Parts: sequence; C-alpha cells; structure tokens
Amino acid sequence: MSHTFNPLTVRHDFPIFRNHPDLIYFDNAATSQRPERVLREISDFDQKQSASVHRGLYELSSHATRRYEAVRDKVAALIGAENGSTIAFTKGTTESINIVANSFRKRLKPGDNIVISGMEHHANLIPWQMICKEMGASLRVIPVTKEGELSLDRLQTLMDHKTRLLAVTHVSNVLGTINPVDEIILEAHLKQVPILVDAAQSAGHLAIHVKKLGADFLAFSAHKMFGPFGTGVLYANPVWAPSLHPLNFGGGIIQHVDFDQTEFLEYPRNLEAGTANVSGVLGLGAAVDYIRTLDAESVIHHEHFLATVFKEKALQEGFIRVMGNPRRHAGIVAFNVNGVHPHDVASYLASRSIAVRAGHHCAEPLLQYMNEAASVRVSFSVYNTADELDRTIEALKEVKKFWA
Amino acid sequence: MNELDKLYPPTIREHNTSPFHFEQRKDRAVTVRAYNPICGDRFDLFIEADTGATNTIYFHGFGCAISKASASVMAKSLSGKARAEALRLCNNFLDSLDSDSDEALALPEEWKAFQAVREYPERRDCAALAWAEMKKYLESNPS
Repeated sequence: MSHTFNPLTVRHDFPIFRNHPDLIYFDNAATSQRPERVLREISDFDQKQSASVHRGLYELSSHATRRYEAVRDKVAALIGAENGSTIAFTKGTTESINIVANSFRKRLKPGDNIVISGMEHHANLIPWQMICKEMGASLRVIPVTKEGELSLDRLQTLMDHKTRLLAVTHVSNVLGTINPVDEIILEAHLKQVPILVDAAQSAGHLAIHVKKLGADFLAFSAHKMFGPFGTGVLYANPVWAPSLHPLNFGGGIIQHVDFDQTEFLEYPRNLEAGTANVSGVLGLGAAVDYIRTLDAESVIHHEHFLATVFKEKALQEGFIRVMGNPRRHAGIVAFNVNGVHPHDVASYLASRSIAVRAGHHCAEPLLQYMNEAASVRVSFSVYNTADELDRTIEALKEVKKFWA
Repeated sequence: MNELDKLYPPTIREHNTSPFHFEQRKDRAVTVRAYNPICGDRFDLFIEADTGATNTIYFHGFGCAISKASASVMAKSLSGKARAEALRLCNNFLDSLDSDSDEALALPEEWKAFQAVREYPERRDCAALAWAEMKKYLESNPS
C-alpha cells in the first residue's frame, strides 16, 4: 500500500547510512543508494537460485527465467506500459538510447533531420549526432532559455516532414527542469514524428505513464532509482517495437541461424544478446517493488521541496549563483559560489562528508548556454532531509570564508 | 592540521589568488591548450621565445585552485629555461606527484605544496594538468 513517508524513516532502509552515519548524500542524479531489499534480492539470488535464463532444462534455470520475465511486467506496471513485452533489459539508459539510434540510422537519408533539446545529457546527444553525421542528416536543437526551460515555441519550425525522430529528456540532469513531455509528444505526433524520452532522471522520482503520454520510446537506468548498476530499461511502443534491431549480435536472440542468414526473435528478446544480467534485473524488480511502497506524489513533492528550499537559502546568502530558474523542477540544483571553482567547493564539502558533483555533468553544450564553464550540483532523494540542507549552506559559508 | 589547509597550503592559495604570468598572450606566443574534459578546466599555455635559447611562459584560462596554482608555479619554474631543461623539470614535477615523501625533501619549496594531492587521488589530475600538456609539447618540439 502506498503511504507518505518520513525521510528519517526511509533512511533506515539504506545500509549505506549505517556504514556512514554522517554522510550527506547529494549526488543522487549520478547514482542513488540502494535499499536493503534490493541488496538482499541480489544476494539471495546469487546464493540460493543462481542460474542462467532461457537456456537450462532444470528447475533453477526455469525458476530464474520466470522471475526474470516477471520483472518486465513489474516495470511495465510502474511506467504504465501496455504489458511486459514492451520492456527490453539493457545495460542502462545509454545503451537503450544507442539501440534506438542504431536502428534509426538505417532510416535516415541525406537531408533528413533529428531534433533534440539543448539540455540533453551527452548520452542523448552523441548517439544522434553520430548517426546524423554518418547519414548526411542534420541535428536540430531546441534552444534553452536563461530560466533553464525549453523554447517550445521553436518546436513547430524545427520539426518538418524530414524529421525522423525527436529525443528529449524528461528531467534535466543539471537544472532539474521537468520538461512538458506530454505537450512535446502531442506536437511531435501531429507531425508524425516518433519521440524518445530520456527518463534517467525521472524514473523513480516522478510518476510516469507512457501510454497516457504516448511516448514511443523511453529509456532509464536501474541504478538511479535504487536498483543495481549495469541494468537499464528500454520501453518501445508496440507500433515501433518491430523497427528496433539488435545492437549486439550473439546467442539468445535468434529464431534460426545458418551460414547464410539469421532470423531474429521478436522484440524485446532480439535486443538481449549474450547471457542476461539476471541478478541485475531481479535487483531492478526489487527496486520497482521498493518504489511502489513510496507514494509517488510525496516523493516528487519532497524532492521539489528540498530543491526549492536549497535555492532560496543559497540565494539569500548573496554569494551563490543558481543556474536557471525553471517553473517546474525536480530535486536537482546546479550552482556556483562566486569566486570559487566548483571543484574547490566540492572538495570542501567532501571534507564535511557532503557528497556533491562538480564539473559539466555530461552536458557541456547546456553549460555553454548558461554561460558557465562548470558548476556544483546537488541532487536529492527520498532519504535527504531539510537539516542536511542547513548543514550544506553552513559549509558553503565556510567555503566562501576559506577562499575569501 | 585542518584537512583543507593540507590540500590547499598557503602556496596554492597565494598562486590561485595572484597567479604568476596570468595573461592573454595569444598574439605573441605559441599556444598550447591544457584541457580536462572531465571537469571543464581549460588553460591556454603561452610559450614565448626569448632572444636566447630560452622561453618565457604565460598562461590564461579557467580552472580550480589547484590546477591554476600548479599552472602558475609551472610558468614561474619554466620561464627563462631552455627547452631540454624545461622538459626535465616537467618530468620531475609530474614524478613528484606520485613519488613517496622522502624524495619530496629535495623538491623546490613551491612544488612541495602539491604533495598533498597524493592523498587526494581525485585531485591529482588538477595538479598535473598544465605540466602534462607542456611536457607533451616539449617532447614533440625539442627545439
């Protein structure tokens, strides 16, 4: 049953905080921590049930196969997808996007174009840039305003009859902006353009309903939503699923092979060549179960609240510049301390057990838009508290004093 | 000693605030770009030929206190040196970031400030940035 939560209670679910009681973990946009239930699921499988899936004719293997396949249904239910057969397991968001880009490469002709936004993570920029260059197509970019929002009035003119796909992030990994993907999808579909949504920063934080949204593809990683590293998801709308081809060739994806040709299985099995990351997928399943114990609305409300309070307090200090000011945002804030390099800020915070990210956050072009070479980023999750914000603001005052 | 005083001893703080030869000299010098794609630190190193066989080094750009101070100490250490000597100094400095502390006693006073990065491996590249690029340049342009 869903219930609202208290971050201090939630914190007990995460063993990392027992091992590091003073840790203020504000690097959740890079990777979240993992609750006991996910760690136990992985360890139980490895100790009691380990076997490869889709291969063995013995009980351990068929049991592993059933449980592995059941995670597709769990993930589908979490994101409001049609059914489990729309869900492919990948290594992560990056691989999911590369699978789609690799498949769309063959559909591109010289003069075609792909539209992305100016606030994409490199993972949702470079794959498109590469296929466009290779096929003589152009990459068009939706500009970002000073507030850190997409200039959607430009979308109409950017998309035309030569646009083959639109790829956009649900939540910016730097500014925290929640993009109006519903509106963007509507506009794209009016022009019959399929759309890929990068949900790396929204899955597990925001309620997602792909069917209602009408997203054609959606990609995310387990490790940013309380699951293990090295496991991710690609959702493909049943209409578009047949257009996806294997990125990796090998065993486990075939219907029939001879020396002249190979017939592949249907989506999603055609994308999962090689031995599956079974414990990773089961860990993802446990992460989905964990997320479902939290009330989705309370989660985003809590993270949004922390970001709002952090921005207010930071701006009050007068020596902190916050990047962007999007109207709708999740729990991510990028900022700079006047006169102090982000790395020196991060090192100082690290000495106070505050873990943050500093750099360009795999979004170099966005920082160019915002006219910053780098920034510090704090990103919040369910186990973060308002008290941690106060301790961070205090530490930032010390940073300023140290470098005065 | 406070952990931060260890990572940022006075030499680093002084060179960060008042860097040596920190100015744009693109028009008068050979420019070498020192860039760390991980963090976005970006310095231009300017190598200006003197009348003799030596060079004077300037630099300009954006980086953290450690990378900026390190580039500043580099400009100071290498200015007035011939290329072979400059290359030897680059190698010595870079070695000093990895060597054990006994050898550090023989280092020039200002170089010792960077010894702390050996305890902060995530900051080693900051200290090495300008020197490593200068070394590459000097190796491919010995005269």
